[in-house]
Amino acid sequence: MSFSSENFFDSLQGAIAYLPVTFKLTIYTFVISLFIGGTIAIIRNYKVPMISQFLAWFVTIYNGLPLMVALVIYNLLFMTNYDNVARFFHISKTISEINPVIVGYFSLILSSSCSYSETIRGALQSIEQVQYEAGYAIGLSKLQTLYRIILPQLVPVAIPGLINNLVGTIKGTNLVSAIGILEIMGGALTPCALSYSYLEGYLAAALVYWLFSFVLETLAKQIEVRSTKFRRQIV
Amino acid sequence: MIEITHLKKSFGKQEVLKDVSFKIQKGQVVTILGPSGSGKTTFLRCINFLERAEEGELRIGDTRINLRKASRKEILNVRRRTAFVFQNYGLFYHKTALQNVMEGLVVVQKIPKDEARKRAEAALEWVGLSNRKDFYPSQLSGGQQQRVGIARAVALNPEVILFDEPTSALDPEWVGETLDVIKKVAKKGITMIIVTHEMSFAEEVSDKVVFMDGGSVVEEGTPKEIFTNPKEERTKKFLARIIPQDMYYI
Amino acid sequence: MGKYFDFERFIDTIPKIIPQLSVTFSIVLVSMIVGTVLAIAVAVLRIQRIPVLHQILGIYISFMRGTPLLVQMMVVYYGLPLLVQGLFGININTWSTIIFVDIAFILNEGAFLGEIFRSAILSIPPIQSEAGYSIGMTRLQTFTRIVLPQTIRIIIPSYGVDLIGVFQNTSLVFTIGGVLDIMGKAKTLGTATGHALEAYLVVALIFIILSLILRFLFFLINQKLQYERR
Repeated sequence: MSFSSENFFDSLQGAIAYLPVTFKLTIYTFVISLFIGGTIAIIRNYKVPMISQFLAWFVTIYNGLPLMVALVIYNLLFMTNYDNVARFFHISKTISEINPVIVGYFSLILSSSCSYSETIRGALQSIEQVQYEAGYAIGLSKLQTLYRIILPQLVPVAIPGLINNLVGTIKGTNLVSAIGILEIMGGALTPCALSYSYLEGYLAAALVYWLFSFVLETLAKQIEVRSTKFRRQIV
Repeated sequence: MIEITHLKKSFGKQEVLKDVSFKIQKGQVVTILGPSGSGKTTFLRCINFLERAEEGELRIGDTRINLRKASRKEILNVRRRTAFVFQNYGLFYHKTALQNVMEGLVVVQKIPKDEARKRAEAALEWVGLSNRKDFYPSQLSGGQQQRVGIARAVALNPEVILFDEPTSALDPEWVGETLDVIKKVAKKGITMIIVTHEMSFAEEVSDKVVFMDGGSVVEEGTPKEIFTNPKEERTKKFLARIIPQDMYYI
Repeated sequence: MGKYFDFERFIDTIPKIIPQLSVTFSIVLVSMIVGTVLAIAVAVLRIQRIPVLHQILGIYISFMRGTPLLVQMMVVYYGLPLLVQGLFGININTWSTIIFVDIAFILNEGAFLGEIFRSAILSIPPIQSEAGYSIGMTRLQTFTRIVLPQTIRIIIPSYGVDLIGVFQNTSLVFTIGGVLDIMGKAKTLGTATGHALEAYLVVALIFIILSLILRFLFFLINQKLQYERR
C-alpha cells in the first residue's frame, strides 16, 4: 500500500462532482426538518392534549434509534414492499427506476426532525413565562404572541444548537451511502475501485466534507451574529 | 516580618500600583483603606501571587523573593506561609464546610486525616459553625460562608492572613458577625493585613492604618493619627466622604 | 407483510444477537475511557494556549467535528498502517479491525469531549483556582482536586448525551467489515438466512431500549450529584 497523489486528485474530483448531491440532501433535510421539528416543539410547548404526549413519546423513543439502523430498515422495507405499494397506487415505474434517495430523505428528515425539535424546545423553555403574559396583556392572540414576541427571541437562543444540528445533518448524509446513494464519499471512492487503493478516496472525501461543513457553519454563524443584534444592544 | 518594596503593577496601559512599599511586624494588624480603584485589592493579590507584579520585592521572614521573577517553588513557599480570605468567600463549591477547612491541612500540610478533621472541627467551632460543618457552601448564608473562609485560613496556621474586603459582598445583616470573628482572629495575635471599607472596625482592630489612593500609599499611621488627625488632604476628603455612610450601615 | 416479517423468527434472532453486545460495549467502553483522558488533555492544552500546539489542536477538533465518523474510521483503517510503517517501519496490517475502530472512536471522542470539557472548565469561576492556590496547593493539585471535580459535575448531562451518541455510532462499524457487533451480526444473519428485517429490528429495539436506560441512568446520577441543593 502506498499513497498516490494522482489517485488522490482523481478522488478529489470525484468527491467534488458529487458535492451537489450532499448539498441538496443537507439543505432539503435541514429546511424540512426545521419546519417539522419547530412544529413538534411548539405543540409540545403549548401542551396540546394527546398530540403532545404522543410526540413526547415518539421523539424520546426515536432518538434512541441510530440513523444507520433506521436507514437500513427503511431501505429493506422499501425494497420488499415497493411492488405492492406501486400496484396499489397504480404507479407504473419499477423499483429500479425509482431513486432510492427518497428512502434517504425519509430517514434523514425523520431523525433530524426529532433532534431539531429537542433543540428548539430547549430554546423555547428558556424564554420566560412573563414574555407570553406581556403579549397577552397588550391584547395579542396566542398566535400573534408566538410570532411577534416569542419566535424572534427564540431564534438567537436556538441558533448555536441548530448549527450543531446542521453539522450533524451534513455528516448524517454520509450514511445514505450505505443504501447505495452516491454522495461525496461515493464519488471519491469511484476512482479507487480501479486502483484498489482506498486511502486516497477517503482522504479526499474527508477534505471535501470538512470544507463543506466549514463553509456552511461559517455562513450559519453570520446569521447568528445578525440575529443577536438586539441582545448585544441590551448588554 | 513582611516587607514589600517598590511594587509596581499595571493592567494593560493602566498603572494600578505605582511603587508601593509596605511593612508589617509580627503580630500586627494593618488595615489598608482607600477608594475603590486605589489598587489595594491588587496589592493584596500581588503578595499572594494571584496577580504577577511587574516590579518589586517581597521579604517574608528571612526569605527574599523577587515579585516579578519568582519561581513556582518560591510562589508555593509564600502561599504556604500565608492565607487569603476572599471577598466572595472562595469556598470550594463541591466540598462541605468541614472539607473546605480540611483540604489544605490534608493535601498541603500532609496532616493525617483524623488529626486534620479534629483541627478543622475545632476551627469551625471557633468561628461558631460546628452545627454547619456538613453543609455545602450553597446551603450557607454569606456570613456563614465567610466565617468558613476565615476558619479555613486560620486552621492552616499561617504566618500572615490576608483579608480582601471580607465583608463587602455580605448583606448588611451578616457584616457584624463576620467582623466579630475577624476581631477574634486579631486577638489571637496572628499577623493580618486587611483591606476593608469598615472604618470603625479598622479603627478598633488595627495597629496601623495605611491609606492608599491612585495606586500609591498616601499616608500611614496609627488609627488615631489617621482617623482623628489626618495630614494629607486626600485622606481627609476620603474620610469625610466615607465615614457618615459607614455609620449609616452600622 | 407476513412473509417479510415473521414474529417467531424475530424472537429466535434475539438470543443470536444479544451476545454480540459485548463487542458493541467494548467499543463504547474503550473509546469513552481513553477518549475522556485524551479529551481532558486536549481541553487543558487548549486552555493553556501554547502557540503552534493550540493551532494544531484547533485543526484537529475542526476536522473531527466537520467530517463524518464513517470517513474518519476508514481513514484510520487505511491510513494508520501506512503512517506507522513510514514512521517506525512496523507493520500493523495484522492488527484486528476493531483496534482501528477503537482508535478512530477515541480520536473522535478526544475532540468532542475535549470541547465539552473545555467549556466546562472555563465555566468554573477563577476564584475556585485562586482559593486552591491561596491555601498552598500546586497547580496540579488545584486542577485535580478543585477544578476537575467541579467540572465533572457540570458535564454529567452532556457526557450522558455524548455516551449515548457513541453507543449509537457503533452502528456504523459494520460497514468496515469483519467486526461482529450487534449490527455486524444482524447483517451476517441477514445474508445467511435471507431474512434481514427481523435481525435489524432486533438491533433497533436493543438500541432504543439501551439508549432509554442510559438516559435514565444519567438523569439519576445527575440528580444524585447535585451538591448545590438550594
